[in-house]
Amino acid sequence: MNTIALLPHQQSPAVELDYTTFQTLLRARMKQAPDREFLVFPETDRRFTYREFYEISVSAVDWVGRQVEQGGTVCIIFRNTPEFLAIFFGAVALGITVVPVNPDLAVPEIRFIVENSGSHSVFFDPDMKGKLVPLEAELPEVRFSPLADVSELPKVDVPAIEAQLPHVEMTTPAAIIYTSGTTGFPKGVILSHMNFLVDGKGIAEWFQLNADTRSLCILPLFHNNGLVVSLASALHAGGAIIMIDPKASLRSFWALVERYNATFTSVMPSILAAILALGSDGRPGYLKGIISGGQYLPPSLGKRFESRFGVPIFEGFGSTEATSYSCFQAYPAERRAPGSVGRVMPISEMKVVDENDMEVPDGTEGEICIRGANVAIGYHNLPELQALRFRNGWYHCGDYGSRSREGDYYFSSRKDDLIVKGGEKIYPAEIENVLCMYPEVTECATIGIDDAILGQEICAFARLKEQTLVTESELLAFCAQSLARFKQPKRIVIINHLGDMPELPKGPTKKILYRVLRDYYERRLANSQDPEGLKWVLGSQGGG
Amino acid sequence: MTIPELYAALSPLAEQVLRIPQFDKTLTMMSTPSWDSLRHVQLLSAIEQKFGIEISGDDAFKLTSAEKLVQYLHRQTEGKPQA
Repeated sequence: MNTIALLPHQQSPAVELDYTTFQTLLRARMKQAPDREFLVFPETDRRFTYREFYEISVSAVDWVGRQVEQGGTVCIIFRNTPEFLAIFFGAVALGITVVPVNPDLAVPEIRFIVENSGSHSVFFDPDMKGKLVPLEAELPEVRFSPLADVSELPKVDVPAIEAQLPHVEMTTPAAIIYTSGTTGFPKGVILSHMNFLVDGKGIAEWFQLNADTRSLCILPLFHNNGLVVSLASALHAGGAIIMIDPKASLRSFWALVERYNATFTSVMPSILAAILALGSDGRPGYLKGIISGGQYLPPSLGKRFESRFGVPIFEGFGSTEATSYSCFQAYPAERRAPGSVGRVMPISEMKVVDENDMEVPDGTEGEICIRGANVAIGYHNLPELQALRFRNGWYHCGDYGSRSREGDYYFSSRKDDLIVKGGEKIYPAEIENVLCMYPEVTECATIGIDDAILGQEICAFARLKEQTLVTESELLAFCAQSLARFKQPKRIVIINHLGDMPELPKGPTKKILYRVLRDYYERRLANSQDPEGLKWVLGSQGGG
Repeated sequence: MTIPELYAALSPLAEQVLRIPQFDKTLTMMSTPSWDSLRHVQLLSAIEQKFGIEISGDDAFKLTSAEKLVQYLHRQTEGKPQA
């Protein structure tokens, strides 16, 4: 593995990989057990063995290869469908970089990603056609190709296509995953084949996954969690993956676990909260564990879930820049350290540093840093941010925490004001950039506020020009035009209406004091909102 | 209930829950950002109340478009009087 030049933050620890690209791994698993079940799509009752899906992926190689050159970049806009995976495997086998796009993004947000990533092709679910029509007109140089069903892919001579496949290095970018950025624009994280396969291997080995593993994927494939924790790890183990649309899975969670004999799944804490709140009975069946990360899991929530359903939850820590997870609570469950986010996986190294990048003693809080072959190549076209976050051979993740003498890591806070809503990461600037474009808004700021299900919701504060009659509803509607739904504020507080806060709180350098704003919200506004919490979500069946 | 009757019965409910201007056969979860996981739960609960049925976990994840919802309700309400 070290015969190929790795970046400084990827060189240690050394990791042995038997397969260095998605294509070689999938092909190897197909050869080992061609008739073993690989993918199940309950919504459409479609099932694929390793051989069936491998052949589909080779058809996709042919189809994608006719439209995109090797080394190119393509956007794909699908939910958790065979079409997503066919194009993904087909494209990366050609050395093409795939940019998975959240279908729920607003058109301007999709346009930004298409343009920023340099994609000349967009593959999409025909259900998206109506939304993409204006984009097709705006971007005439981009080719838009719908794919309704993998059965539409051309039938090909598999050995002939295999013989034409280019050599793809393990360090070749496989995907650019866009994640929220501090400047208000999403930043692209470039992940190589090696990143995915090493992280998948690490997770598979940590949780002792094997060919009997049946991973229930209820997180979206356009995020790395779905691609790595559900797909790459189960593929490494030669197991099966049950793919379900995240939007439709909540109420059916236990039915899916039972019917499809799921052995593992990965969730955000907000999903655990919602399942618990639904009050339904659940039988864990063969479920050995639930992996949870992406946002803070309140200990009381985890305890209630485990005592009610009898399934252990394994917390972990990582980031998109580390492909997904770098550490996990120990497996099996009796070895877990309560309250921690676990110990570093053998594929990775972690440390805690002070503001001078000096490692701090165990038990001391500092910034968490990660290195290893699962750490990303870096950011797409963001050299300054790259230099800031990837320095001295480590990725500096911006999260604060500590390590115990026993080696367990404990998360404490973010270095910045990131909002994590249902696992989706949103920087305040994303909302503020939009809100400040409203002609009557003179200044604004956005904070995360507590939410019983989602963990956090979004609250914006806006100051208007004097004598202006603009309502909260008008500002919310304005935001809805440019922001994906999950980024739209739940509430916009017009500062002019507040008697005791004439303007946004600022420090000596005029920097907005988000902490003061959060304290103000808690003190004065938290109990004054319309309580659209569990009762609203669950209607008459709320319980548990 | 007939298919048109079901669309008519579902429209106000779906429009309120999903906060959409119009509920018609072109509507899918994929193309409707406001049709998220929590609103899906709420929509199914509201349908259960309105139609006096219980939607099982084995069915709930398949009801991902207006057409699938209406076809499902058509099967469930066949022979029953209008809700």
